[in-house]
Amino acid sequence: MGVGKSCLLHQFTDKKFMADCPHTIGVEFGTRIIEVAGQKIKLQIWDTAGQERFRAVTRSYYRGAAGALMVYDITRRSTYNHLSSWLTDTRNLTNPSTVIFLIGNKSDLDAQRDVTYEEAKQFADENGLMFVEASAKTGQNVEEAFLETAKKIYQSIQDGRLDLNAAESGVQHKPASPGRPLAAPPAARDNCAC
Amino acid sequence: MEDVLDEIVSSEDLQKFEKVFHEQLHRGTVTHKAQFEYAWCLVRSKYPTDIRKGILLLKELFNSHPEGKRDYLFYLAIGNARIKEYNKALHYVKSFLEIEPANQQVLTLERQITKRMEKEGLIGIAHWALLMNALLGVHYLFAKKKQIKED
Repeated sequence: MGVGKSCLLHQFTDKKFMADCPHTIGVEFGTRIIEVAGQKIKLQIWDTAGQERFRAVTRSYYRGAAGALMVYDITRRSTYNHLSSWLTDTRNLTNPSTVIFLIGNKSDLDAQRDVTYEEAKQFADENGLMFVEASAKTGQNVEEAFLETAKKIYQSIQDGRLDLNAAESGVQHKPASPGRPLAAPPAARDNCAC
Repeated sequence: MEDVLDEIVSSEDLQKFEKVFHEQLHRGTVTHKAQFEYAWCLVRSKYPTDIRKGILLLKELFNSHPEGKRDYLFYLAIGNARIKEYNKALHYVKSFLEIEPANQQVLTLERQITKRMEKEGLIGIAHWALLMNALLGVHYLFAKKKQIKED
């Protein structure tokens, strides 16, 4: 059983919950077009497998990501304990401007909780991560997590912290027909902690 | 980049995992991990020769390491689809779905492969149609010429 990265992605792209979600093989790919500050943005999301035997190769998918979502399972402390090792990978392999968002998944299983909200929030604050508890099953906070990540990336572009011309910014600007500019795509990576 | 079949491995990655594989090969024992990582990079190469090599390595793994079967079947399907061996690719997809019939990742891959087959099949038909038109056109001209002469 995983922490639910693929389930979060499916909930975000298809608004459906996959009840019986097997382990992802390698990487999966998802897209969704959203709107931030009146701009259409296409998110390209790489959902990387969490199992150890894929880790060496999936590391190369971090490169050039504008954002990364790191997921643990609030009902299993071991997944929370692994976060620092995943965070080290993410920091080492992405740019300083990459937005990192921490998600505590399975918030619907509050009775089986093994990690408190406060503890995870403190970890997130200490490491400068955005944080939310979500449920891929009920859909609670899933939309918010992805949209907040996209907004933060958009802000970084506006503030000039993220240079669109840099090779590994993870963002491409595609001017569309006049009057309807299209900014695309802040790639977010759905990383793991399991 | 629209789906997993379009994804290309970076040359640094291919070289990195190739090096590990060859070092182990030189020492006489190759781990499943090293062979899989190298094969996974090979089937995402832009060169068909690399992809074919990846397929061979995956077949070897499939026969020698039953625990990893689902991973090997998945990448055997991807490798074959990338060199347009669509029927073989679908064969691996079917074998996978016999074990896990509801696997969304593999069902998506199946749709992508069929889409490509249809697209390339239609392109094939379109080429034939153009050729037939051209032939009919030439035939028509000849017929016309003959008619003029007879007149």
